[in-house]
Amino acid sequence: MKINKFGVAFTLSALLGATAAWAEYPERAVNMVIPYGAGGATDISARTIAEPLGDAVGKPLIMANVTGAGGATGSVAVQNAKGDGYTMLFARVGSHSVNPAMKATLPYTLDDFRFVTVYEINPVACAVTPASGINSMDDLIAKVNEGGVSYSSSGVGSLLHLAGAMVLKEFGVENPLEAATHIPQKGGGAAATAVLNGTATFLCTNSSALASFVANGQLKPLMVTTPEPVVGFDAPTANELGKERLNQLVGWTGIAGPDDLPDDVAAKWGEWMATATQDPKFNETMSARGSVIQLMDPEEANAFIIGQYNIFRALVDELGMRIEG
Amino acid sequence: MSPKVIQFRLGIGACIVAAFLTFIGIPNWVSSPSNVQNIVLAPTFWPYVLTAMTGLAGLGLILVAGHASQDDEGEDEEDASGNPWLRLAALAAIMIATMFALPRIGMVWTTMVVFALTAFLFRTRHPVTALICAVTIPLALYAFFAHVAGVAIPQGNYVRLP
Amino acid sequence: MSLWDSLMAGLSLVATFEAFFALFAGICIGVVGGAIPGLSATMAVALTLPFTFSLQPITGILLLLGVYKGGIFGGSIPAILIKTPGTPASSATILDGHPMAERGEAGRALGMALWASCTADLVSNLSLILFAGWLASFALSFGPPEFFALILFSLTIIAGVSGESLLRGFLSALLGLLLATVGLDLVYGTNRFTFGDPNMMGGLNFIAVLIGLFAIPEIISMAWNPVAHLGKARALGQTKVTFADYRRSFRSIIRGSVIGVFLGSIPGIGAAPSAFLSYSEARRKSPNKENFGKGEIEGVAASEAGNNGVAGATLIPLLALGVPGDVITAIIIGAFMIHGLQPGPMMFILNVDIIYGLFIGLIVSSVFLFFVGSVAIKGFRFVADIPKRILMPAVLVLCIYGVFAVNNNIFDVGVMFVMGWVGYIMLRYRVPAAPFLIAFILGPLLEDNFRQSMLMSGSDPTILLRGPITWFFWTLTVVTIVAIVRSVVRKARSAV
Repeated sequence: MKINKFGVAFTLSALLGATAAWAEYPERAVNMVIPYGAGGATDISARTIAEPLGDAVGKPLIMANVTGAGGATGSVAVQNAKGDGYTMLFARVGSHSVNPAMKATLPYTLDDFRFVTVYEINPVACAVTPASGINSMDDLIAKVNEGGVSYSSSGVGSLLHLAGAMVLKEFGVENPLEAATHIPQKGGGAAATAVLNGTATFLCTNSSALASFVANGQLKPLMVTTPEPVVGFDAPTANELGKERLNQLVGWTGIAGPDDLPDDVAAKWGEWMATATQDPKFNETMSARGSVIQLMDPEEANAFIIGQYNIFRALVDELGMRIEG
Repeated sequence: MSPKVIQFRLGIGACIVAAFLTFIGIPNWVSSPSNVQNIVLAPTFWPYVLTAMTGLAGLGLILVAGHASQDDEGEDEEDASGNPWLRLAALAAIMIATMFALPRIGMVWTTMVVFALTAFLFRTRHPVTALICAVTIPLALYAFFAHVAGVAIPQGNYVRLP
Repeated sequence: MSLWDSLMAGLSLVATFEAFFALFAGICIGVVGGAIPGLSATMAVALTLPFTFSLQPITGILLLLGVYKGGIFGGSIPAILIKTPGTPASSATILDGHPMAERGEAGRALGMALWASCTADLVSNLSLILFAGWLASFALSFGPPEFFALILFSLTIIAGVSGESLLRGFLSALLGLLLATVGLDLVYGTNRFTFGDPNMMGGLNFIAVLIGLFAIPEIISMAWNPVAHLGKARALGQTKVTFADYRRSFRSIIRGSVIGVFLGSIPGIGAAPSAFLSYSEARRKSPNKENFGKGEIEGVAASEAGNNGVAGATLIPLLALGVPGDVITAIIIGAFMIHGLQPGPMMFILNVDIIYGLFIGLIVSSVFLFFVGSVAIKGFRFVADIPKRILMPAVLVLCIYGVFAVNNNIFDVGVMFVMGWVGYIMLRYRVPAAPFLIAFILGPLLEDNFRQSMLMSGSDPTILLRGPITWFFWTLTVVTIVAIVRSVVRKARSAV
């Protein structure tokens, strides 16, 4: 019986292999790896685009959360996958520009991936509790110079970690690592809670993660990093404060494949994304969460990510934040 | 095994683990950056504390073993029929083979073989039922996980299921 | 608006067929999802989330809450029947539930699990409605030092689940704590025992460890002696839970519910520690102390009350503060936001109808859970009749699928196998598995909160005693440890 089964197996596989050669990509469902947990910003973004994107692709998209190590576990799963376009990754600012910039021990580099698009930009905002008596960035910087200020993050090597240091540095704090204490938490929700309950003084994170706290008056925004104001955030933009360099400090979500992804597959993803991002419901849902839909084709996406990586890397080297060993 | 033997062996085992971690494990496999300001914040601090406590627990077990009874409490596992060690080794081999086969030939086919092999390893009295289940249960689980729950069950390189 | 007006507004919102149907459907999905090891309540909620996008906000959220509550109960079904917890929260239920099933009392254990779950669920929902504001401000006063003291106290549970030898329980817990250090370091992000493997960097998957520790050793034991189970009365379970059982366990159920409400209202602890704490408290107070761990129905009641007590209470930080207490509530928060609702203090003013609609739905959910659960028990009880040498391979295959599905990672299946052998060796050497598991859950929390406290204070240890909450838990810890030491000494004396 077993021999029989394997016999059938080989015949079938031979047939399938033969058809694969001239069949049009995609001929079956595509695995989409989300390197962060359910309910997080990446997950919600991915699952929102999945619907219109699935229609554009014409085959089902199977969403798989592979979490751990700040996005590294899921990224490695795609890095090691075959570059046939059937395993793709939802890449995120944390896993693909902050992590590579900060961690020498990261098991992958940007060169191991081929980005096919970036479709969403999330402004970053810094916030404190109203009870802290801090009303502006100047107040915060004054407090930092007095000492005893701390900021929370969702973990070492996360966007929040880098953002805290980068913002202080831009506002003239000589050595942000010494002047303010970084208190890492486990996850973005815990990072916001840490500011709420007074464990940390401030945090800088995606505006979508702060929106409900700001709307409820539990947190007070001090600044947003985009050139345009963010709806619902009564705070100056980085440009109004004269810190244009902070425009680079934004979150993003994109799609990447392994580095040996063929050109025609990458081009196809570009077309599909162009169709999918036109979907009105997708636009509505994402805008409601404070995201800016901004579609980049493969070349633009690569340039954007490398650009951000270089800025982060320079900062990390300057401050000695790189994690070795 | 009598309680005395159990306590004694566990104690020795715990001490060996503690010694291994202190001299080889932690120095080699826990990396600590050079710029740690305070010893209590170092990544190695907590593992060292736990290791020390494990060593103490081991010593405690050895001490207590001296007072424990030596009576063998007649355990059922000793009268297992056939060669139990052989069956354990076979099960271990099945598990290792499973890990090797999962990404290559796919989860459904692998688990079918695993089901059949373990059922026979346990010398089931219902061989036909076991074979039927070996085929149907993995298929049913696949159908549920892949199509209802939307999980990307590994398909392997050969035969893909719809 | 008065309370009455709010209630009426809420009622008008939920008094629709769709809303109640969604709640009912959610509970059904949850019970089935929770009953499949590895799928777990978390996954069931995550899978249901996309379906809520197109629903009315209140309907969608009730659907998710139904899945959540159903899932937490559903997890106890495989815990009792096949010693494989469906959700991490039901691991405490194994301790007494599985021995009961082995004795042929699966029906009674499942019935008690359901009754205790529904009672605790009701208590939890009522506390949410009555004390949300107060408990939320209590939760916000928990910073790292308070957490550290609370978790230190929770670790004393180990004494309650160690069985015959405290020292072996202690050793088991230490091994769990050591294993929990695997992964990236919290403060410096460096590798600890990862051996350069990216799969290890995220730490060992909790559910893989859990299933490996409880379910796989059973399978390995079966390979050692395939006929050990013959002649034992396993087949089953027409036994039913009686009202006398319920009355006898009532105190434990209420105590467990209250523990669940407190731990649930503090973000970041979750249902599993609560179940274990409730279990160990019930054991401490029970006249049948000796029988715990050997199939005591009160133990099942206490564990299930402990984990279901959390279910309503985790909504306290969610609704009152907008803070998720665990992974499941993080997903539910996502659903709120997708519908443009922003949980937090303002929601009690801006969307009071939704809040009260949810409250009404939650109360109804306890009743639904009772009926769905009764049907599910009847449906699943047959599992106890399956010949064990067919059941065990099926459990093995189910575990492979389930553990893979948790994180879509084959590596986790390997973790499960390895932990299975560790668990088997522990079984042979009579080292209890429960302390290992508790330590594995609480260990990272203990370490992280300790180090966060040190970061906050600049390594000044006095921060660990910074306020009344810390003093309270430190006192409890000291009192408990003294009590444990005294009982050990007394036992040693009486033995001599």
